[in-house]
Amino acid sequence: MKKFITNIVFAISFLLIFSFISNVYFDYFIQAFTGDSPPFPPGKSFPIDECQSWTEDVRNFNVVEGEQAEQVTVLMYHRIIDDHKLNKIHYETDEKLYDTIVLKSEFEKQMNLLREEKYVTLTAKEFKLFMENKLKVPKKSILLTFDDGFKDNYIEAYPILKSHNFTAINFVVTGFVSERDHKFRSDQTQYFSLSDLKKSCSSFEFQSHTYNFHKKNNEGMAYLKVKSKNEIKNDIATSLVNLNESKRSFAYPYGEYNEETIEILKDLGIEMAFTVEYKDAKPGMNMYEIPRKAVFPEDTIEDFRLKINLN
Amino acid sequence: MFEITFALFVLFIVFQIIYIFIPVFSVNEQKPFKNSLVEQPISVLIPAYNEENIILNCLEGILQVNYRNFEVMIINDGSSDRTLDLLHNQLELEYMERSKSNIIPHEEVEAFYQSKRYPHIFVIDKKNGGKADALNTGIEFSKNEIIITLDADSVLDRNALHAINSAFNDRRVIAAGGMVHIAQGFRDIYAKPTPTFAVSGILKYQIIHYLTAFYLHKLTQTKMKSITVIAGAFGAFKRYALMEVKGYRRTVGDDMDITIKMQQLIATKYKTYKMIFVPHAICYTECPSTFRDLFRQRIRWQKAFIDCVLHYKTSFFRKINITPSLYLLLDSLLLGTLNAFIMIHIPFTFISSNEYMIPLGLFTMAFFLAGYQSIAAILVSRRFGLNYSKLDYLRITLFIPIEILTYRLLGILFVITGTIMYFRNKEEWTVSRRVGSDNKKYEYAKEPV
Repeated sequence: MKKFITNIVFAISFLLIFSFISNVYFDYFIQAFTGDSPPFPPGKSFPIDECQSWTEDVRNFNVVEGEQAEQVTVLMYHRIIDDHKLNKIHYETDEKLYDTIVLKSEFEKQMNLLREEKYVTLTAKEFKLFMENKLKVPKKSILLTFDDGFKDNYIEAYPILKSHNFTAINFVVTGFVSERDHKFRSDQTQYFSLSDLKKSCSSFEFQSHTYNFHKKNNEGMAYLKVKSKNEIKNDIATSLVNLNESKRSFAYPYGEYNEETIEILKDLGIEMAFTVEYKDAKPGMNMYEIPRKAVFPEDTIEDFRLKINLN
Repeated sequence: MFEITFALFVLFIVFQIIYIFIPVFSVNEQKPFKNSLVEQPISVLIPAYNEENIILNCLEGILQVNYRNFEVMIINDGSSDRTLDLLHNQLELEYMERSKSNIIPHEEVEAFYQSKRYPHIFVIDKKNGGKADALNTGIEFSKNEIIITLDADSVLDRNALHAINSAFNDRRVIAAGGMVHIAQGFRDIYAKPTPTFAVSGILKYQIIHYLTAFYLHKLTQTKMKSITVIAGAFGAFKRYALMEVKGYRRTVGDDMDITIKMQQLIATKYKTYKMIFVPHAICYTECPSTFRDLFRQRIRWQKAFIDCVLHYKTSFFRKINITPSLYLLLDSLLLGTLNAFIMIHIPFTFISSNEYMIPLGLFTMAFFLAGYQSIAAILVSRRFGLNYSKLDYLRITLFIPIEILTYRLLGILFVITGTIMYFRNKEEWTVSRRVGSDNKKYEYAKEPV
C-alpha cells in the first residue's frame, strides 16, 4: 500500500512537471523546427510610434521658380544582399539572380551617385504633397521604397541610408515581423524583427504591404484580387493596427490590384498606393496607382542614371 | 543540426523515462532474503597483480561469507611485489597438483597451492599475462559449474554467494551480475555494513551514479533482456558458457567483452537463456577518491566501450539479439557517446543565434529527468533495504541538484576525451596509482555504464 501511494505520487508529480516543462517550451521548439516565426499578433502595435514622428515633418525646399520637379522617380527595391554572402537560394537559375535582389555593392554605388548628385529623398508626406501640387520639390528629388520588410534591409541597406542621410519607405508585410530577434543568416529568408524596426526607424518609414496577404492562391492569383472584399479589408486593417494606424501609403503585393482594392484602401483611409508599373510619377496621376521603377540586379550604374533621368 | 539534436533528445527522454519508471513500478519492498537450503558448488576467481595493499581485505571478506560449498582461487598474475608472500603467510600455502581442462590457452603456471588454514582457498602462481589471461587460467583450473569473478579490491557481502546461488536455481540463467556498492560509502563493511553519505563530493557523485546504474539501469536491462555489462568487480557465470566462448579476450574492457560474448551465446545457441542482475548479491568496491584517478578510470571505461563496439560491429542484430543491440547502439553509443559531441555544440550554436530558449528548454528537461532519476534510484534502493539516516537523506536531497549541474557534466568530458584518446592511441594502457604503491596494477573496469 505504501509502495502504491509512493508510486502514484511519484508518477503524478513527474507527469505534472514534465507536461509543464513541455508546455513552456513547446512553441519555441515548433518554431525552431519549422523555421517560421509565428505571425505578429494582429492586435499589437509596433513600438515605433515615437521614432516615426519625423515622417510627419515637411521640409521647405525653397525651390526657385522653374527649378521644381515636374516628375519624381519612385525607386523600388526588395532585397539587398552582400556580394560575399550570395547563396544558391538567391539565384533563379545558375547564372541569374532573382529580380528582387540588388547587390550591396551596387546599392552602395547607387546611393553614392545620389549623394554626389545632391539628390533629396522625399518622405511619403512630402511626396504626397508634391503629387497633389501642394509642395514644390527640387528637380533632383527621389522616393526610395523597399517592399516586404526583409531583414537584410536592416542589416545591409539601413547603414548605407543612415550614412548618406537618406530616408526610404519600407512596405512591410506586418505579419512577417517577428517579436523575437534572430541572428541574420544570408542563406535564409528572414524579415524584420521588432528590434530591427526600432533600430532602423530613423531612416525607414514603415508602411503597409498587408498583414498576411502577400500570397497567391493555387492558380497563381494574388490574394488582393481573389479574396473577398471583407477578408482583404480585415487583413489590411490588421496591418494598420500593427503600424499604429499609419495610413499614408500602401504598396500592392505583386503590383496586383483592381477597382475593388482601391475602394478598400479609400474606405480604410489610406491616402495613396504604389504599383509596379515602370514609370516616373507625375502630379495629377491617380493617387492609388502611383508607378514605381524597380531596380534590377543586372542594372549597371549607367542603367541607373537612365532610370532616374540623370543625363 | 537542430533536427538531429531534437531527435536525439526525444530518444534520450524515452530512455530516461523507461529507466525511471520500470524499476519504480516493478520493485517491491523486499522481504529479508531467505537462503536456499541447497548450496550449489561455486568457484570464486580473484585475479591479483601487485595487490599487496588490499589482497588481505579481499580475503577478509571471503572469510566472512556465510556459504560453505565453494572454493576460492586467487590467481597471482606474476606480481612483482609481496602479494604472493602475504598469501603464503596468511594462508600457509602448500603445493598441490590439480588437473585442468586444457581448452582455453593461457600463460604458463608456476605453481598451484592450497591453503592449509582454509582448505577451500587455492592460489595459482603464474607468469604475468594480464587480467583476462589470469581469469582464463582460473577458469581452466576451477572445478565448479558456477564461476564468480571478483576484483581483488572488492569485498563480498556475507550473503553474496547465497544470493548468487538462488539466482542460479533458475537453470536458464547463464550469467549474473551482482550489486556493486562503493566501499567508501559504507561503515564497517565486514561486520555490519551501514551506508553513509557523509563523504567527499567526488564519492557522493559516484554513490549516486552507482545506485542509478545498478538499481535503475541494470534492473531495467534485465527486464528487457539487454544486459551489456556484467561488472568485472562481481560477476557470475556458468562454467560451460565461459568455456564455449573460449574465455576472456585480452582487451581494455574485459567485463563488457565477456558480457557481449554471453549475449552472442544467447542469441545463437541458448535462445531461452538469460543474463540477470541480482540486487541481493552485494559487493563493496574501492572507488577513485581523487579527480585524477576518476578521470583515468572513466577514460578507460570509454575506451573499453569504443573498443567493444568496434570489435563486435558486425555482430549487432545478427549474432546479438535485437534489444541488446538497440540498447548498445542507441543508448550507449548514440546517446552516451555521439550525443556528448553534439551537446558541447548546443550552447554555442543556439545562443549565438539568439535562440537561447532552445538550449534552455533542453537543459530544463534534462535537469528534471536527471533529478527524477536520482530520486527514483534512492527510492528503489530503499526498497532493497539500503536505508540512510535522516541526516543523510537531507544531504542526498541537497546534493542531487548540485550534482547534476557540476559532477554530471564531467561525464561529457570523460566521454569525449576517452573517445578521442582511443582513436589516438589504441595500445596505450593507462595505469592508476593506488594509495601507498607505485607498482603497476590491473585497471579495474568496474562498471562501464
